[in-house]
Amino acid sequence: MSFADDLSSIVALQGRDGGWGYRGGSSWTEPTVYALLAQAVQASTGESFARGAEWLRSMQRADGGWPPHPSVDQSTWVTALAVLLLAGRPDWTGRDQAVQWLLKQSGRESGWAQRLRLRLLGFGSQEIEQYAGWPWFPGTAAWVSPTALSILALEKVQRSWPQEAIRKRIETGREFLLGRMCQDGGWNHGSSKALGYEASSYPETTGLALLALHGAGSSRLGKSLAFAGQAYRSCRTAEGLSWLGLGLAAHGRTAAGNDKLKLIPRRNMVDAVLCMLAEAAAKGDNVFLS
Amino acid sequence: MPSLRSCEKIGCGDENTDMNVCSTLQTQDLWSGGRGIPACVPILSHLLRRRDWLIASAGTLALGSCARRPRPGAEPRVSITRAAAYTQDLYDSVRRILAEHRLEVRGKQVVIKPNLVEYDPQTVINTHPRLVHAALEAFRSMGAAGVRIAEGPGHRRGTLDLAEAAGYFEAIPRFEDLFTDLNLDETSRLRLSRPSSRLDWLYLPRTALAADLVVSMPKMKTHHWVGATLGMKNLFGVVPGGVYGWPKNVLHWAGIHETIADLQQVFPRLFTIVDGIVGMEGNGPIQGKPKPAGVIVAGGDRVAVDATCCRIMHIDPRKIRYLRLAETLGQTEEGNVRQIGEAVRSVETPFELIPEFAGLRVR
Repeated sequence: MSFADDLSSIVALQGRDGGWGYRGGSSWTEPTVYALLAQAVQASTGESFARGAEWLRSMQRADGGWPPHPSVDQSTWVTALAVLLLAGRPDWTGRDQAVQWLLKQSGRESGWAQRLRLRLLGFGSQEIEQYAGWPWFPGTAAWVSPTALSILALEKVQRSWPQEAIRKRIETGREFLLGRMCQDGGWNHGSSKALGYEASSYPETTGLALLALHGAGSSRLGKSLAFAGQAYRSCRTAEGLSWLGLGLAAHGRTAAGNDKLKLIPRRNMVDAVLCMLAEAAAKGDNVFLS
Repeated sequence: MPSLRSCEKIGCGDENTDMNVCSTLQTQDLWSGGRGIPACVPILSHLLRRRDWLIASAGTLALGSCARRPRPGAEPRVSITRAAAYTQDLYDSVRRILAEHRLEVRGKQVVIKPNLVEYDPQTVINTHPRLVHAALEAFRSMGAAGVRIAEGPGHRRGTLDLAEAAGYFEAIPRFEDLFTDLNLDETSRLRLSRPSSRLDWLYLPRTALAADLVVSMPKMKTHHWVGATLGMKNLFGVVPGGVYGWPKNVLHWAGIHETIADLQQVFPRLFTIVDGIVGMEGNGPIQGKPKPAGVIVAGGDRVAVDATCCRIMHIDPRKIRYLRLAETLGQTEEGNVRQIGEAVRSVETPFELIPEFAGLRVR
């Protein structure tokens, strides 16, 4: 199927309220953003996009962030996704608040109170987080996926609205990611060691981290890129293959056997769109970076 | 677009509520023997949204104040059944186990919650799919109105991919139609009554909240933060990643033991079937080694089941903090439990513990 055919299938799943669910059902922020990103690849500004973007805008909360679902009374990590989509849109009036919300979030472990506590408990500086990443949920620790998505979102903002605070935060976010790299060169959810034991990487988080580290310089990422190339060959999930493809493409690498994406089962909306975005990135159109 | 398919309480406490319910709830006892959750327990004194109330009907009961002292002859039952391997005879074994516990599920909605953690089918991280299928078939044969399998893994987002890699698609016909990803399920906000943790409320998936019976089906494993992960800890998997992320780190900051205890009050109608056929020892719950224990441990008293598993693993249940916190929900004392099937002594087998947990060993 062509990108346009896939896009038609995505548009057909749009809910009456303008949003998208994961597998049908009610609208959630994450699949809605991805459905709109797929349309953005083709610079689509049709009715579907307009309705989706309107649903998304209507979900922005007074604090500037987004909830994952209308029933959740809390802004969370999905704010990064919404900013990623809306950053370049001149008609979006909630940008400043959203960016401020994102800038305010950081992993609880990198806060001064936690760092002081660990120091008093005798932990060494290597065990105390120096760099602020982003949490999934406010008030908790930072992890790889929300940090990578927040970096990508702030980069988009930075292109049209450059600010020193944003630049610094992107930089520390990248250092956070580099610090969470697993021994094999990839990334898992964000815990490279547990009780001193080395942990293994996941394909999906490795790809996402590489995508967010596209500007970090490949000299520090040689091992990671090699790992990602190997992981692509053995990976058997749409989520993993897509993120690996996007991450490799961000470093000018081509994933071997890109046609794997066409054959792999797509479990939900997000999977389906990620496959489309990875295929577009392989052809030079990386919606996360463009 | 290949394979993309369309598919498919009690909330409260927030400012948007339009209904204030504070009453007692007559819980229909699922144990015909009269055990399980007491028939009349105080409901959480919190605000409920009418819609959520209807969806979840009776999902939250405050159990903190319901100390359970067994009446003579009414001790909770815990069964220990020998099972050497994941073979066809598991189907009969599970039917027999459920019959022994006199579970009445006719017309009820049952949600089976296995423990799915990682992709590798060669490891012993996940609850074995054949045991889950045996439970599914048994509940169907007992007349359950609906049986779903539901899980929300803590680290990996691709729940269906994970289930497929773990052998669930192969072992369970039409698995995808029977399965709910609790990480992406719609949620209701629940205020916790007298929480042990620092959490006042939690968003939880409606599929689990609306179930008449949740069946916790963990793997018998050691755990590098809490000592042992069994039926109670398995409820971490109902906390929705779609709201809290992967991992569900909010639970860790609020206190792992404490949130394990808090989650129990939200799911009062729970039956536990522990996959101890091949468990995990050492640096569990992910990096440990296979430990054949050759047992299925089951019962309606979740505390008693977990405590029994600990004894089988040569772990002192009184040293597991979440079991102590949940003592009002069930029995940790061996003498207060009616053991059926095998005796603990006949199946006990020490699980290797990491040095940090050497102190948990039964002396």
